[in-house]
Amino acid sequence: MWAYIFRRVLATIPVMAIVALFVFSLLYLAPGDPAAVIAGDQASPDDVERIRASLGLDRPYLVRFGEWVFNILRGDLGTSIFTNLPVSHMIMQRVEPTLSLMVVTLVLSVTIAVPMGVVAAWKQGTHADRAVMAFAVLGFSVPVFVVGYVLAYVFALELDWLPVQGYTPLSQGLWPWFENLILPSIALGTVYIALIARITRATMLEVLSQDYIRTARAKGVGQRAILFLHALKNAAVPIVTVIGIGIALLIGGAVVTESVFAIPGLGRLTVDAILRRDYPVIQGVVLLFSFVYVLVNLVIDLLYTLFDPRIRY
Amino acid sequence: MDRRSFLQTGAVVAASGALAAPALSQGAAARTLRFVPQANLANYDPIWGTQFVVRNASMLVWDTLYGIDNTFTPRRQMVESEEVSSDGLTWTFRLRSGLRWHDGEPVRAQDCVVSLERWMVRDGMGQMIRALKQELVATDDRTFRLRLSAPYPKMLLALGKNNTPIAFMMPERIARTDPFQQITEYVGSGPMRFNRNEWVPGARATWTKFDQYVPRDEAPNWLSGGKRMMVDRVEWIIQPDPATASAALQQGEVDWWETPLNDLIPVLRRNRNIRIDVADPLGNVGCLRFNHLHAPFNDPRVRQAVAWVVNQPDFMGAVVGGDAALWKQMNGFFTPETPNYTEAGGEILSRPRSVADARRLLQEGGYNGQPVTMLVAQDIAALSAMGQVANAALRSIGMNVDFVATDWGTVGARRASREPVARGGWNIFFTWFAGADCTNPASYLGLRAHGDGAWFGWPSDPAIEAGRDKWFAAANAAEEKAACEEINRAACQSFPFVPTGFYRAYQSWRSNVSGVTAGPLPWFWGVSKS
Repeated sequence: MWAYIFRRVLATIPVMAIVALFVFSLLYLAPGDPAAVIAGDQASPDDVERIRASLGLDRPYLVRFGEWVFNILRGDLGTSIFTNLPVSHMIMQRVEPTLSLMVVTLVLSVTIAVPMGVVAAWKQGTHADRAVMAFAVLGFSVPVFVVGYVLAYVFALELDWLPVQGYTPLSQGLWPWFENLILPSIALGTVYIALIARITRATMLEVLSQDYIRTARAKGVGQRAILFLHALKNAAVPIVTVIGIGIALLIGGAVVTESVFAIPGLGRLTVDAILRRDYPVIQGVVLLFSFVYVLVNLVIDLLYTLFDPRIRY
Repeated sequence: MDRRSFLQTGAVVAASGALAAPALSQGAAARTLRFVPQANLANYDPIWGTQFVVRNASMLVWDTLYGIDNTFTPRRQMVESEEVSSDGLTWTFRLRSGLRWHDGEPVRAQDCVVSLERWMVRDGMGQMIRALKQELVATDDRTFRLRLSAPYPKMLLALGKNNTPIAFMMPERIARTDPFQQITEYVGSGPMRFNRNEWVPGARATWTKFDQYVPRDEAPNWLSGGKRMMVDRVEWIIQPDPATASAALQQGEVDWWETPLNDLIPVLRRNRNIRIDVADPLGNVGCLRFNHLHAPFNDPRVRQAVAWVVNQPDFMGAVVGGDAALWKQMNGFFTPETPNYTEAGGEILSRPRSVADARRLLQEGGYNGQPVTMLVAQDIAALSAMGQVANAALRSIGMNVDFVATDWGTVGARRASREPVARGGWNIFFTWFAGADCTNPASYLGLRAHGDGAWFGWPSDPAIEAGRDKWFAAANAAEEKAACEEINRAACQSFPFVPTGFYRAYQSWRSNVSGVTAGPLPWFWGVSKS
């Protein structure tokens, strides 16, 4: 097992290298000029040129790429062109809100979606099943920002139950922290709930038709035990896979959700950096997201062994 | 202890600790002003980065030697007195006593000398002073002298203007930073200190009242007078989404929104806890900018042809919607309702639109149907709207428009290209100028017409430049107005750009906030909250 983990961690290095090369090249080729954005609309062309030179943006591709890679190997993600702050500092400032949003969304989604899928499979063909499937279709179809606006309108503006926007750090209290995350998590989680519920239902239907389930029923095992002890555990591998893949959905959705609810997280940092062409920040954030994704995949692979003892690494 | 008891106990302890965090008292909340700015404060050096949002934030931290009032008259601010020699060549400035930097050190004349040196490199008027400068030295701790090779009548305006970059004063050690490098310390002598450790670019910036600030005795008036802070803390909350900002204002989660979207104004008006008024009486001047280096717009007749079909009501309707109070037809180039506004020579803008005249001029100008590459930023609503209207107008006279829908970051980069369109250049882009910059020729970049040195598009028109020189040499308001008329006449022939209209925007704030006044930037002094 440890050898496997070690091998997988080693395998992340070429993956990250390819991501780094890809991201850097893409940004190099992309149109846009941070110097022009910095200088502002009223700047003269000469001013823009001098700012570009002072930022080193007029240097050749290979020089810039080499310097960037060298700094990364030393653990330095660089300095933001605009804020003059270290990229690692800016990322650290934004990690907590995004992590909080993703964890709450994940917990909320799994807690709601898995039972929904189980019930839909158990009550296949009934109104309950159709209701779950209708919700799933709706969850896939309605964009995150629309769900966000509707939730904010109803629960914040009309009912005045929850705040419209912002983020309160966990250090300032559990409820203020959670209060700010309820609406964004529901908005972000809708598509995720739909995805997990559908997969859970499909997998459970397959498992429930297996011989050992019939045997359990014949032995008089209760419905709850059959569903959650025997069937769900055997259906867990594909469900866990989808949950893992869904992390990418969450990262993408967080960009929109953080903008709609004014949460100062990594998603907004990414959007702001892209709009301004703040290359070091974009590169740093994309590298981080790639690393997280690789790590999540590793964790998912390891979780397989928990649910299916036949899987060995 | 078994596993279950351990987890239960741990959860209870963690929750009780977290829940016990203190909350802000009502008094503290009333002393904090929460403001939604027009854009993200991505950097904080008003000389290095000249965006308006940086300038607006800088007004809190850094003070100026002079400041203009609402009649555009420069008034003393950090300066106690000034003296100019009879030949107009030597200026001697004396600072007020008791001025201190936020680190507690006294403000010295040498700080101002170095600050002016840095500013002069980046500012248009500063560059003119720099070209004339013979000597700029501190003669004692409160006095410095500027000796010129020729008189510069607009000296006080240059030091007190509100156009970016403003001549902000910084401590010598900070002002010694290369003007093309960003400063790393944010110490000023203004009414508020910047809380650098609380700054989250893209999300939040905060300031705390500077207790040792010595305001002037006069009443505040734009950049001049006593800058008395009525709140202890100012928080800028960056809101990328206008709908969310609107909801936050309605819910009282923020106190003041600098630039509400026009579409949301009716919603805000329905809320009795919200006040709405024009933000800046000087507004903005919409601009359809040509590239004068390449065909077809290197011929003035083709530019005039476009001017004949720019129907300002169409443009302004698209930009500000149906609110007629927000826009004005401008048959000239200077900001309407200001002293230098003139319609001299502006018949091409004031007469009924004429497709026939436009087509004739296109033909005379030798337009042969080549593509006209129009850069239109889609991420800025006003520019996107102008682009759509212009596209239809130009097509109506038979121009072959290549409509490039892109983002402002790309427009900003591509407009700097002097290459022909085939090699990544451009023919037209859209922007706007702050009306405050268009009240006179001093900071009006769009009206410079000195070829290679001019703003993007690089127009060349000696008549405009001659009028500009006359304005700088003008000794009184009448001479200034005459110079502006000369510029306007020339510009209405050569069209460095076509004005698409003059428009204003609203600002909105909660009814428990008082003291909000209109001006070219948000003034925080005098604003209180109950």
